[in-house]
Amino acid sequence: MIATFLLLAFLQIKVPDAAQFVGPPQGTPLAGAALERRTMEISAELRCPVCQGLAIGDSPSQMASNMREQVRELLSRGYTEEQILSYFEKSYGQFVLLKPKFQGVNALVWLLPVLVLAIGLVIVVTKAKRLEKTPVPVAAAVAPDAASEAADDPYLAQVREMVEKS
Amino acid sequence: MNRTVLIVGIVIVAAIVFVLFAGLGKDPQHIDSPLVGHPAPPFALKAVGTGETIDLDTLRGKPVVINFWATWCGPCYEEHPTLVANARNLQPEVQFIGIVFNDTDDKIMRFLAERGSAYPTLLDTNGKTAIAYGVGGVPETFFLNPKGTIVAKFEGPLTTEALQAELAKAMR
Repeated sequence: MIATFLLLAFLQIKVPDAAQFVGPPQGTPLAGAALERRTMEISAELRCPVCQGLAIGDSPSQMASNMREQVRELLSRGYTEEQILSYFEKSYGQFVLLKPKFQGVNALVWLLPVLVLAIGLVIVVTKAKRLEKTPVPVAAAVAPDAASEAADDPYLAQVREMVEKS
Repeated sequence: MNRTVLIVGIVIVAAIVFVLFAGLGKDPQHIDSPLVGHPAPPFALKAVGTGETIDLDTLRGKPVVINFWATWCGPCYEEHPTLVANARNLQPEVQFIGIVFNDTDDKIMRFLAERGSAYPTLLDTNGKTAIAYGVGGVPETFFLNPKGTIVAKFEGPLTTEALQAELAKAMR
């Protein structure tokens, strides 16, 4: 990070900084394996803007690589995950977040499945209760059919006659 | 009961069909910029060729057109003559700036030598400026009013009509 700062100062160039968007770092600067692990974790939550539904952690594009590098730099400066996601969201909007926030139209993504399940449950319960209240009279329903069936089938009539005699 | 199930089913299917149809007409690569209406992220970058540092803060007081492009981008070839012609007509009242990312000095120099140049072209070496502007692909053009606020973002190759329409927002 210091090398990057010195290089930028030497070249007399200034690039937009996260501090202008999300304020000073609110976490602990990371390094080594922890830095790499958190970089990959946060990269899995950010959408690559030049790809079709890929996270920047999974995309081989140069844009995704630049964004991953920025995530790594921000973590090494002590920015928290929330600050980093907020920084990218301020530039790209909620489009860049692979996990939509629970607000506005996006809330439907979370609410609709629950709502559909609830409606399904209500339908099943109501149907079951109705079936309980109006039991089908099995004997009455079967008897006329059986009688007519016996009349049509002489063999069946013969069997019935034998059963009744015995 | 069957009627209720039918109505609920129709409502669910209609909602899904509506969402799918609404999405059909949209460009999946289009990103509504949350930066419109907000101050443009500041930068000071070296111009390719001259080495001069161009600081956005020093350009307050006139509309600024910032065009993100690259030599590997096909539509950038298409819009380049439009940008150059309009820059020649409108400068110095309007300042045009090109920002190139994921590219190299020599390729940019060759491109500009072959196709003409009328405004500073800056190199965004690590892509940080493009990321701060929420650039999702090139070409993309941002229009700033004299106060330095982003008033419009245009995706894709600019035509003179589109450029003038967006620039009008920066002049209000």
